[in-house]
Amino acid sequence: MIKADNIVKTYNGGTVEVLKGVSLEINDGEKVVILGASGSGKSTLLSVLSGLERADGGKALYNEKDLSSMTEKQLTEFRRNTVGFIFQQYYLLPHLSVQNNVKMGADLIGNKDYVEIIKAVGLENKLKNKPSELSGGEQQRVCIARALAKKPKVLFLDEPTGALDEKTGREVLDYIIEMQKTSGFTMVMVTHNLNIAETADTVIKMNSGVITEIYRNKTPKTAYEIGW
Amino acid sequence: MVISFKDGLKLFGIIIVVFCAVFVCTFFLNFYLDAIAIKDTVLPEQQVLYDAQLATAKVVCAISGGFLALIAIVMTIFYIKLYVDGHMRQLGILKAMGWSNKKIALRFWVFGLSVFIGAALGFGAGYIAMPFVYDGLTIETLSVEIHFHATLLIFLVAVPTVLYSLLSCGYAFLALRRPVTDMLKGRTKNKKRKEKPAKAGKERSFLVEMGVKTVGGKKLLAFFVAFACFCFSAMVQMGASMKQLSTDTMGLMILIIGIVLAVTTMFMAVTSLIRSNLKNVSMMKVFGYSMKECALSVFGGYVPIAFLGFALGTVYQYGLLRLMVDIVFKEVGTMPDYSFNVPVFFITLACFVVLYGALMTAYAFKLNKVSVKEVMLEN
Repeated sequence: MIKADNIVKTYNGGTVEVLKGVSLEINDGEKVVILGASGSGKSTLLSVLSGLERADGGKALYNEKDLSSMTEKQLTEFRRNTVGFIFQQYYLLPHLSVQNNVKMGADLIGNKDYVEIIKAVGLENKLKNKPSELSGGEQQRVCIARALAKKPKVLFLDEPTGALDEKTGREVLDYIIEMQKTSGFTMVMVTHNLNIAETADTVIKMNSGVITEIYRNKTPKTAYEIGW
Repeated sequence: MVISFKDGLKLFGIIIVVFCAVFVCTFFLNFYLDAIAIKDTVLPEQQVLYDAQLATAKVVCAISGGFLALIAIVMTIFYIKLYVDGHMRQLGILKAMGWSNKKIALRFWVFGLSVFIGAALGFGAGYIAMPFVYDGLTIETLSVEIHFHATLLIFLVAVPTVLYSLLSCGYAFLALRRPVTDMLKGRTKNKKRKEKPAKAGKERSFLVEMGVKTVGGKKLLAFFVAFACFCFSAMVQMGASMKQLSTDTMGLMILIIGIVLAVTTMFMAVTSLIRSNLKNVSMMKVFGYSMKECALSVFGGYVPIAFLGFALGTVYQYGLLRLMVDIVFKEVGTMPDYSFNVPVFFITLACFVVLYGALMTAYAFKLNKVSVKEVMLEN
């Protein structure tokens, strides 16, 4: 379980308060969307919950372990064994092939079946291609494969469809949702797209560094059922 | 405008290299010109020593000046390449807005500023140091007086500034010749070459693959690392060995210049190495790779290249000094004793290992403190 207990995060020596006491709970296997406009603090919350950044106040807990009090080595272990990331800007290693980018995740846990994941995202014919030779949608699918190849318990996604057109965006979102159904990992996705929130079990709305609303979707929609 | 005066002044490395080159050349060439002027007053018994001093001045100038000028050229090109790669999007936007390659490239003249500063400071410092150098070089009973030579000011300050500005513009023009869309999307000019399929059972791990591809994908950087180590090896050993061929003062001077230069070049190479791999390392950290794994995979591949550079530098300095002894001093009739300096080689090697290791360790610590989010937001 992921738990945020009154998290505060500031920048510029404490002058800019981005998170102003955020508290939430995310259950294992849950599909959560953090929804908010630009500057609402949603990406910062994702960074704190995933151990990329430390909170300045409050606690970010994973299975009752406080991420803020972990040493750098423990945080590295946490990232290695527990979480996966998918970013809007892909952040693929540009000089490595699709196969080797995915291997980056797979090797961490000794996963030898990573090619199956590449096949699952439909890129088996592009194994040896470099990221620059792929379309935006294909690059994002490599990111999905890379993240899933390390079999994460929690997958953090920061605007995964933000840089994609509608058709590709739906495809990518569909892949992610299907993978989540199959693997059962917890999914925490940040987006500003209200429609995408309809695919989640739980939606957390944020504004100006605070949570304004948390609600559950009775019947989460598929990527092809939502508007865009 | 993306290219500012500040960018030109940032090139401390080039300033230092040019400073050293002009510093050495100023007093040796000045001495040479002053000595030539008193050619007719040289007595027959002073002739051999007089010729030897002239030859030394000429050779030190050619070796140090020429070598340092070469370093400055390589550094300038390297920095412009890094600048263009690092500002690809901004330059792409300018091109998209209608700026021609020529118009953008002309703005790169500011890189010549660093050469001007280094050359002007070196020229001034050369004149300040001149009385001491003349004392060391002047032959007893044959007095060589210091005179100012305006031609030296032109050839050591003005000409290099103009040449390096032209070189910067020219290289920038060539580097900018790529499609606007590639620049906006940050695509590199790499040849589209697919990887060869790995042999069955011989698949390399990600970390090994990362190391190999990082070095292979940044050939210019690999060259620069090798070149920095080459400089360290050549300059330090040459400086120490010069004592055998010249006065102690002269040897010490070359040694100090060599160390300053070598450390500067090494520092620049390692800094560039870290800077250009920052994003890759950050991504690896995000995924849970330890700092040790990141450092070994990304920087480990450069270690053999560094040692290759060191070895080549050793061969180069020995070959050059041997040539100088065999050809130049042969003409003046007094052949100094020169052989490969084994103790100097081992001391230089030990210093090199310590320095390279210390720089890498220091940067690994620095890298460990970099916020992952900060690096990613730079995009």
